Amino acid sequence: MNRLASIPFVALLWREVLENRTLFIWAPVMLALVLFVFAAWLISMAPNDQVSISIQYLSEIFDGLSPLEIAPILMILAVPFMVILYVCALIYLLGALYQDRKDLSVLFWQSMPISNATTVLSKVVTVAAVAPFFSVTVLLVFYTLALLCLTLLGVAYEVQVAGLGYLFLAALTSLILVYLSAFTATLWLMPTVGWLLLFSAFARRAPFLWAAGVFILIGFLEDFLFGSQYLANWVESRANPNQYLIYNLSDVTERMFSYDMLFGVLVGSILLLGAIFMRRFID
Amino acid sequence: MNTIVEANRLEKHYGGFKALSGVSMSIPQGEITGLIGPNGAGKTTTLKAMIGLCDVEGELSVAGRDPRIARHQLMHDVCFIADVGILPKWLRVNQLLDYVDAVHPRFDRNRATKFLGSTEIPPRKRIRELSKGMVTQLHLAIVMAIDVKLLILDEPTLGLDIVYRKEFYDRLLNDYYVGNRTIVISTHQVEEIEALLTHLLFINRGKIVLDAHMSELETLFTEVIVKPDQLTQADGLGPIHKRELLGKKAYIYEAVPRAQLEHLGEVGTPSVADLFVAKMKEGSSVNPLSDSMKSSNDE
Repeated sequence: MNRLASIPFVALLWREVLENRTLFIWAPVMLALVLFVFAAWLISMAPNDQVSISIQYLSEIFDGLSPLEIAPILMILAVPFMVILYVCALIYLLGALYQDRKDLSVLFWQSMPISNATTVLSKVVTVAAVAPFFSVTVLLVFYTLALLCLTLLGVAYEVQVAGLGYLFLAALTSLILVYLSAFTATLWLMPTVGWLLLFSAFARRAPFLWAAGVFILIGFLEDFLFGSQYLANWVESRANPNQYLIYNLSDVTERMFSYDMLFGVLVGSILLLGAIFMRRFID
Repeated sequence: MNTIVEANRLEKHYGGFKALSGVSMSIPQGEITGLIGPNGAGKTTTLKAMIGLCDVEGELSVAGRDPRIARHQLMHDVCFIADVGILPKWLRVNQLLDYVDAVHPRFDRNRATKFLGSTEIPPRKRIRELSKGMVTQLHLAIVMAIDVKLLILDEPTLGLDIVYRKEFYDRLLNDYYVGNRTIVISTHQVEEIEALLTHLLFINRGKIVLDAHMSELETLFTEVIVKPDQLTQADGLGPIHKRELLGKKAYIYEAVPRAQLEHLGEVGTPSVADLFVAKMKEGSSVNPLSDSMKSSNDE
């Protein structure tokens, strides 16, 4: 076994990947395959001259452009992958502290010298850093293959393809932004992460119904008892993706250290403490 | 004698159900202790409490620690096997070894690999593809390669066929039980582990009803195959249990001196299984111990 894998926390993260490879690896791979086949079908349906003109056009508009300027625009290509990542993260978090209790393997995991805090932390790091890593890796392979195919087609049609190199560099740069965005998104959405893990650790069955139900109930009670909608408004105020998406490397500090961000992380941490406490006794 | 587990008046309620009602016991170091009781007696609750997986009231110390406070630290010194089939099904055998190797500082991977080499478990197979018996073998191989003070086994051979069961206990005794290691086994199948045990704990309805070293049994309990003409007198001495034995009657006495019993018939020490049945039935009637003391005083 190599050195890295023998670090206990790395082993915990690897465990999460192995258990959830369908969510973290196969889901984005399937999406990439579908998009790739769809694109190939579109190209095969189009008349030859239209394809060659399109490739030449792509090559010409990107030729000489700075990857840093184009990258934010190219992030839009990753949107389907980010949507899949969010859905998978939701499913993962709801099952993270529930699935092992359901199949009783929790008795094995709890017989290892790993604290509940470390376990819960490993789930958060998995969502924040590990799952996006796989999404971005799949995107990287997808972009590389797609541009390679376009380049070969361009060469076959004898059109100018040098500009596609700039497009590729811009696509790579956009992946860095996508990864950073996914990371800051998890931090920004920490109250959600904490809430889901709390009910994942608490529910005896149907953690999703618990998590959604209790939230709706609290919102309803607030409205009914006090006639106010603070909770709903607060959630709505945090729903704009522009609050956490990173379009430029210089955005990072601004996003990470805003008061809203820190407050969200604080609320999330309190909920995570709740999840750790719930995890203490499994009966 | 050093003790590794000290429990004092442990209580546990599940709603209105009292799973533990004042469990007090001490488990000696370096012994193989059997925690024996019928289904629902509180065995699993007691064992789970010992490894911090269940919140109980009362005083509890395991390997010098309170399991309710620091489970993960305790797990450096304690290993646990629950009822069969709880290893994560989606892992491969070698991935499981990788994991334990990384997180458990006392795990000796070579030792585990050596144990597995003597079984038919393929290292690349997923655990879900293994038979029940193989999963238990695998778990035992892992646990035997971890150098801990205390090994806790909760019904470890439940649902296994006799070949695996026998092999399990043979291995445990020959490969694991060395030096100052302590083993606690819970079961409701007494016969199987009777020969293995050096210390006995009987539990019934959330209470410890017997806490004795195997060597003490001889002085505490006597079984008499009563001669037909002595039956009235035998009844008078307050047996805690009576049973038919090939047309004869076998009585078990607790705390009655053997000298008083020898003239009743053939005298011996009861088997753990018979003693278990006797002690489990005891709770439902009046306390036979005081009865037998009274009647022996009468003589």
